[in-house]
Amino acid sequence: MIASIQFRHFKALRATGLQLQPFNLIIGPNGSGKSSLIQAILRFRNLAQLPLSSEPPGAGAACTGPELVFKFIPPFDGVEAHLCGVSESRCDQLNVSSSPPGAWDELRSKLMDVRVYLFDHYAMAMPSPRSGDAELITNGGNLAAVLAARRESNPDAYAAIESEAVRLMPEFSRIELRDAGNGKVELAMVLREDGDVIPADGLSQGNLYLLGLLVLGYDPAPPAIVCIEDLDRGIHPRMLRQARDLLYRLSYPDAFSLHREAVQVIATTHSPYLLDQFRDHPEEVVIAHKRGRAATFERLIDRPDLNELLQEGSLGEMWYAGILGGVPDEEIDIRPGKVRIEP
Amino acid sequence: MKLAILSESPADEAALRVLAEAVVDGPVEFLNPGFRARGWPSVAQVLPAVLRHLHFNTDADGVLVEVDADDSVVHTEQHERPDYFHPQCRICKLRAVVRQTVKKLPTADGRHRLLRAVGVAVPAIEAWYLCGRDETVTEAAWLEGQRTGRAPYSRAELKWRVYGTDRPTLDYEITCALREVARHRRDPRRLLNDFPGFGYLAADLRSWKPPTTES
Repeated sequence: MIASIQFRHFKALRATGLQLQPFNLIIGPNGSGKSSLIQAILRFRNLAQLPLSSEPPGAGAACTGPELVFKFIPPFDGVEAHLCGVSESRCDQLNVSSSPPGAWDELRSKLMDVRVYLFDHYAMAMPSPRSGDAELITNGGNLAAVLAARRESNPDAYAAIESEAVRLMPEFSRIELRDAGNGKVELAMVLREDGDVIPADGLSQGNLYLLGLLVLGYDPAPPAIVCIEDLDRGIHPRMLRQARDLLYRLSYPDAFSLHREAVQVIATTHSPYLLDQFRDHPEEVVIAHKRGRAATFERLIDRPDLNELLQEGSLGEMWYAGILGGVPDEEIDIRPGKVRIEP
Repeated sequence: MKLAILSESPADEAALRVLAEAVVDGPVEFLNPGFRARGWPSVAQVLPAVLRHLHFNTDADGVLVEVDADDSVVHTEQHERPDYFHPQCRICKLRAVVRQTVKKLPTADGRHRLLRAVGVAVPAIEAWYLCGRDETVTEAAWLEGQRTGRAPYSRAELKWRVYGTDRPTLDYEITCALREVARHRRDPRRLLNDFPGFGYLAADLRSWKPPTTES
């Protein structure tokens, strides 16, 4: 949905831009702007809920600090959103040019539906209050309630989740959702071998995260944009292909014979193994470079030597080696006196 | 016969299990889980450790290694000459890695040596899947493309022809792989003929004798 974002003085993103695809994997060192990209989208979503500024873009003292410019894919390519402010904490002026004028209203309703996830397996394992709202919250803490609501409202979608869950985690035969009292529901999984029930707090971190991804991937009414921080966290390297597949289900519905709009996915990672999964689609990889306190984005596909590099080894190895950039600064001080040599 | 497989994905391994049984024309026991490498050159890098592990810690008779050729030099009859080695040929390279590794291995648990079967899919394993159903896809066609500088197809095109999408799920890849190799399981001759990179692997497998042991 978002075609591009231009950044100016937004946290570490001093002067850079990024063209976005339906699926985007952002790699780079800590502090290189991966999370700032997601925060920029969230800031935009939050401001889009408010009345638009009457000030012209960049007018007066209101816009001496950070600036963000958002452009969109058709049918919203006539809309441009300009976000600015006096400081990082006060980046709160939103101006929009919209052609046709009604396009912004339609786009704004979609922007309300941006979701950001950073899963927390402790929260995911807790019983959660039953709710008719089937939307997973940011840390996945209402996983049990979402599954219960999905089972009630859309048994087919729930069956698909359960079927895929036991395929990905073959030690289990089914998901169990149990009443936990006080209007809460708790999650458990049943072992295939002996029928033992493993409560959610006995499940592994990776199993809970995979269940979270399954809930997202098999959402019958997914949001317009999904951002996931540290997609690889807790998941075995050999299972990362399946994690990627679940998100591709959102971004490329045609490939799954699903008749709905594509969801734009923005995921961050520090895993070379996850990066390996994108050898056939380097256009989906964004490298965040950090030099000093400034960060910039580069699409992997824009590297002129990409084809040669792909012949030499895996993307993950080349990233770790530093060939692709997106690695931390290292200060190695060899001045005399810095190394003490014992006599 | 007990085999270990070193491949690049679970889908490749599923296909290789079927193809190995087709070649030896009988049941094969497979070490589970299989060994996985992260593409070329990881296969060659991890292979010595895999060989040592198999030799000392398992009762596997041998290892089957398969990689995609990508744009590397294709192994031909010329490469089969004694003492010939082409540094850009992946079969030559993998055979050399095996040779150099196993010659240093002392006898372990009565086992003198570990058998090897090395194959390279030109340019990718999807070409093997298409063999016999798409006449244009052969190793000879790829070689001719390398000679003229006009590739008859790309790896991405092969994937599209097999999976109908450029983003298949792993599960769907396995389903398609098993569907296609079922044809070769019934009769592998076409695959042996059109893809010498598979033929070398098959010849290795068929040359295996029961392992020699000493008590």
